[in-house]
Amino acid sequence: MAVIEVANLRKTYSGRAVLEDVSFSVQEGEVFGILGPNGAGKTTTVECVEGLRRPDAGTIRVLGLDPVRDARALREDVGVQLQQTQLPENLKVGEALDLYASFYRAPRDWRELQEEWGLAELRRARFGKLSGGQRQRLFIALALVGDPKVVFLDELTTGLDPQARRSTWELVKRVRARGVTTVLVSHFMDEVEELCDRVAVIDRGTVVALDTPAGLVGADAGPQQMRFTLLADTDPVPLLSALPGITAVDRDGAHVTVHGTGDFATAVAARLAQEHLLVTDLRIDQRSLEDAFIALTGRPFDH
Amino acid sequence: MTALAKLTAVETKLLLREPGSLVSILIPLFFLVVFGASTPKDDTVLLPMGMSIAVGLIGLYLLPTTLAGYRERGILRRLSTTPVKPGNLLAVQLLLQLALLAAATALQLTVAGGVLGIQLPSRALPVAIACALGTAAMFAVGLLIAALAPNGRAANGIGVLLYFPMAYLAGLIQPVAQMPASLARVGEYTPLGAFRAGLAQAWTGQSPDLLPLILLAAYTVVISAIAARCFRWE
Ligand SMILES: Nc1ncnc2c1ncn2[C@@H]1O[C@H](COP(=O)(O)OP(=O)(O)OP(=O)(O)O)[C@@H](O)[C@H]1O
Ligand SMILES: [Mg+2]
Repeated sequence: MAVIEVANLRKTYSGRAVLEDVSFSVQEGEVFGILGPNGAGKTTTVECVEGLRRPDAGTIRVLGLDPVRDARALREDVGVQLQQTQLPENLKVGEALDLYASFYRAPRDWRELQEEWGLAELRRARFGKLSGGQRQRLFIALALVGDPKVVFLDELTTGLDPQARRSTWELVKRVRARGVTTVLVSHFMDEVEELCDRVAVIDRGTVVALDTPAGLVGADAGPQQMRFTLLADTDPVPLLSALPGITAVDRDGAHVTVHGTGDFATAVAARLAQEHLLVTDLRIDQRSLEDAFIALTGRPFDH
Repeated sequence: MTALAKLTAVETKLLLREPGSLVSILIPLFFLVVFGASTPKDDTVLLPMGMSIAVGLIGLYLLPTTLAGYRERGILRRLSTTPVKPGNLLAVQLLLQLALLAAATALQLTVAGGVLGIQLPSRALPVAIACALGTAAMFAVGLLIAALAPNGRAANGIGVLLYFPMAYLAGLIQPVAQMPASLARVGEYTPLGAFRAGLAQAWTGQSPDLLPLILLAAYTVVISAIAARCFRWE
C-alpha cells in the first residue's frame, strides 16, 4: 500500500520554480530516501508533504489524506524532524519529551523512548547544553513520541562526527524495525546507501532517478577496475584474462589494470596467490552513488 | 494532564528560569525601595512610576523577545506539525507574562504599603481600570515588536531602543514635575505616558480625566490590529 503519493508537485518562490515536477510514492514500512545537492528542493518537497508549505500545483496524499485540508487528522499519525529547529535553551530533555507526548492522543511511553535513544542520563540537561548529536537524538525521539505511522527526518546527520553518524544510523534501523514508514532527506550518499530501500534523486527541482541504492549504482556491475603493481617480472595477461567476469587486462610495465564486472576482484586475487605473485599498490575503484549522480546529471555532486 | 495544562506548566518553568523575568520584577522594586525610603507617606508619584516601569519592561522587552525568539528558533513551526496549534503557545505566553506583571505589581504594592508605609489609594477600581488598559496598550506594542522583528535579538534591540525614550517621555526617568513642560505634555500622549498619567490620577482620587484612558484603549485597538496583520509564524 502506498502511504505517500506525490504527483506533479510544483512550487515557485517569487517567480522562480524551485520544484518543477516532482512525483514519487512511498510504500508502507519503507525507508525512502530523498537525495540531492544543496538547494535541490529536498526540504521544500518534504515540507509540502508535511503540510507546512502549500504547493502551487500537484497532488499529495499521505495515508490517503490531503496534508493541508486534513491537517488535523494527519498530525496524530505523522512525526516530523525539521531541518532547522531548536528548542528553548532552558528546556530540559525530559520535559521536552513529556511535553510533546502530551500533545498526542495515543503517544508512546516517553520514558521508554528516552531510554531507547540514550537520553535517560541527559533528562535533566538543558537543550542549550546538548551537543549536536544529542540534540539530533532528541529531535528524532520527539518525532517518534506520538507513535506515528509515518516519520520525516530532514538531514538527520548533518554536522555530526562520523561516530555519531553511525550510531544515529543504527537508531534509524530500529525505527524501521518497528515498521514506521520513514522518509529520510539527505545529501550524503553513504547514508542513503546504508539506510534506504529506495531513493529519489532530486536535482534542480526534478526527480532525475528513482531506484534502490543498488539499482542506482548498478551494483551488478560490481567493481569496475582493479589496479596493482606486480613485483615479479611475469606477464599477467594470459593468467588473468580467462578468469570469469573479466573484460580486459591492460599492462604498462609492472602496472596492471584489470577491468571487469561482478566479483572478479576475488578471482584475480585468488589466482595471483595461487601463482605466488606478490603485488603492491592494490586499488579497487568501486562505482558509487556519487558516480551515479554524475552520470545522471552530468555534474559532480557537491555538498 | 491535558496538553494545554502541560504546556502552561512547562512555559511557567521556562519563564522562571529566564533571567529577564527576575530583572523585570527587581528593577521596579529596587527603584521603589531606593526612592521610597525618603519619600513622604502621602506620596502619589512613586508607585505609579514603579508600576509603569514594570509594564514597560515586560511589554517592551520580555514579551517581544520571547515571542520573536520562539519564531526564530522554529519552535512555532515545529509545534504546527503536532496536533497542538502554535497559537496555543502564544496565548499561554501572553497569560504567563500577565501573571508575571501581576506578581511584580502586587510585590510593589505590598512593599510600598507594608514596609515603606506609603499610603495606597482608597478606591481600587480606578487603579484596576488604568492598569488593565495600560497593560493592554503596552502588550500590544510588545506584540507589534514581536511581529516586525526578524529575530529574538532584533526584538531585544528594538525593545531597548524604545524603552528609554518612552520611559523618559512618560516621566519614569525623571518625575514629570522636573521635566521640560513641552516634553511632559508630549509624553502624556505616548502609551506609557498615558498609563502613568491615568494611574497617577487614580492615585490622587481626583475626578478622573478620561483622556489617558481613551488614549490607551485606542492604542490597544489600533496597535494590536496592526500586530495581528503583520505577524508571521515563520
Ligand atoms: N521560503 C523560501 N522563500 C524563497 N526561496 C526559498 C524558500 N525556501 C527555499 N527556497 C529556495 O528554494 C531552493 C530549494 O530549497 P530547499 O531548502 O528545498 O533545498 P534543499 O534541497 O533542502 O537544500 P539543503 O540541502 O541545503 O537543505 C533553494 O534555492 C532555496 O534558496
Ligand atoms: Mg534541506
